[in-house]
Amino acid sequence: MSSFAPVLHSEWLKIRSVRSQCLALAAVLVSTTAFSVLMCATLSAEDTSEAGFDPVRASFFGLNFGQIAAICFGSLAVAGEYRNGAVLVSLTAVPRRGLFYTAKLTVVGLLALAVGLLTSATCFVLGQAALGDLGVGIGEPGALRSVVGCGVYLALITLFAAGLAAVLRSAPAVMGFLIPFLLMLSFVLGDVSEGGGWVDFLPDRAGQQILLQNPDGPLNPWTGTGVLVLWVAAALWVGGRRLMRRDA
Amino acid sequence: MTSIDVTQLTKEYGGRRAVDGLTFTVRPGKVTGFLGPNGAGKSTTMRLVLGLDRPTSGTATIGGRPYAEIDEPLRHVGALLDAQAAVGSRTGRDHLRILAATARIPARRVDDVLEQAGIASAADRRIKTYSLGMRQRLGIAAALLGDPEVVMLDEPSNGLDPEGIIWIRRHVRQLAAEGRAVLVSSHLMSETASFADHLVVLGKGRLLADTGMREFIEEWTTPRVRLRTTDDVRLSAVLAEKGFHPVADDDGRWTVEGARVEDIGPLTAEAGIPILELAGEEPSLEHAYLALTAGEAEYTAPRPTAAVQEV
Repeated sequence: MSSFAPVLHSEWLKIRSVRSQCLALAAVLVSTTAFSVLMCATLSAEDTSEAGFDPVRASFFGLNFGQIAAICFGSLAVAGEYRNGAVLVSLTAVPRRGLFYTAKLTVVGLLALAVGLLTSATCFVLGQAALGDLGVGIGEPGALRSVVGCGVYLALITLFAAGLAAVLRSAPAVMGFLIPFLLMLSFVLGDVSEGGGWVDFLPDRAGQQILLQNPDGPLNPWTGTGVLVLWVAAALWVGGRRLMRRDA
Repeated sequence: MTSIDVTQLTKEYGGRRAVDGLTFTVRPGKVTGFLGPNGAGKSTTMRLVLGLDRPTSGTATIGGRPYAEIDEPLRHVGALLDAQAAVGSRTGRDHLRILAATARIPARRVDDVLEQAGIASAADRRIKTYSLGMRQRLGIAAALLGDPEVVMLDEPSNGLDPEGIIWIRRHVRQLAAEGRAVLVSSHLMSETASFADHLVVLGKGRLLADTGMREFIEEWTTPRVRLRTTDDVRLSAVLAEKGFHPVADDDGRWTVEGARVEDIGPLTAEAGIPILELAGEEPSLEHAYLALTAGEAEYTAPRPTAAVQEV
């Protein structure tokens, strides 16, 4: 389709011109890095001497905070269209809804991936430095995979929020649903159902397998990411259907 | 030359017909006034033309094609639907830049339309700080962005100050003079009368009239003459003889329905009746519209007598 590039450009300008979206994206980098470094710098000898201590995982501790910012970014970027009916103007300019949706998700996803990779690289470098003698290099088994995986994870969570925002058409609704769903649910249930089960297939659990040096659940790093991709694809598909089928 | 063609267009919302079998054409080089009370289906029709809503049946095309099939549509069609439809935390300039980017319209053009719409000085303020009138101007600027051959404006003077209303009237006339097809909806008669050449009138989603403005007024009103004389007795006798029915007003004037000054002037001169005052009353669009809708109301309104009988 000849008109994809202009629409991409337009979607890029949309994000750049709204301060809250830029701030949310910056918060992904800042909060993930800050909490990761803080964690690495304050680990006690007791913590680090435990059998399962994973120095690579420790440098992504802040991801739980960073993914909240990613959810905010993804949901704001899509739901912003539905406040005050701005989508009327957007769809008048780009009446092919599939093109509109694809362009928006492409820009949101690529930005989240770029910021996510920058975030994970920064976390790894600063986190390992903060660990001092316990710190490892990028050559450590699984380290490079974790760094790339963390960036991919942030991009996928952003798209998950974007897809849900296309369904719910409200950023607060997406945040109100997704933040407890991703953070609290698996946190609470994780301790209850020890030894795997359906909890491991929740999007955050599955997607974070890629960060672990020695995943012990039913999913390995790649199948875990695959499960998260399925969650994201489902959200995007339902959101896309809503956009394509309904009146604007 | 591009026109808007609406054919047998119908849209139902939950069983209620917002637009019902509508057929009309908006031709280039003219301003078509789109009239009807609130809720008559004007905005719905515009949304259907722009592909924002899907018709239940029928078609709406621009230059023979459905809107969604037009490549870079802002270069061909400019529309203002709802001045509130914008992201409030963006500046007016960014709002227009984003739209311009979709159709590869140069950034220079954004400055041009901001200037034209008279909001250049507010271009770098956030839209949420704009008054309703400024938002209307921004919406109109957006509609003009791609120099389109078809322009659709839904209640464009809503919220505009008197200066803005004069501006929009002139602008709309100019757009038509440049050969564009212009559709402007309004529920205000005097305003529509000030710019429209052609009228499409809706009532309850149906087409009530699709005709030239002059023809519409002539069809639905009767001309009228008001005059004053020193000889009331002879005047009424002479006019009655010629088949007119002069009616005396409280202020000493006479009103003659169905007559023009060209009819009455020569008559009274011939009869030698001294005339102090003679004026034709120009029937207005409002009179014509009310006459049309009065007939329509009788036709569609539930009969109160029937309701009484049921009880």
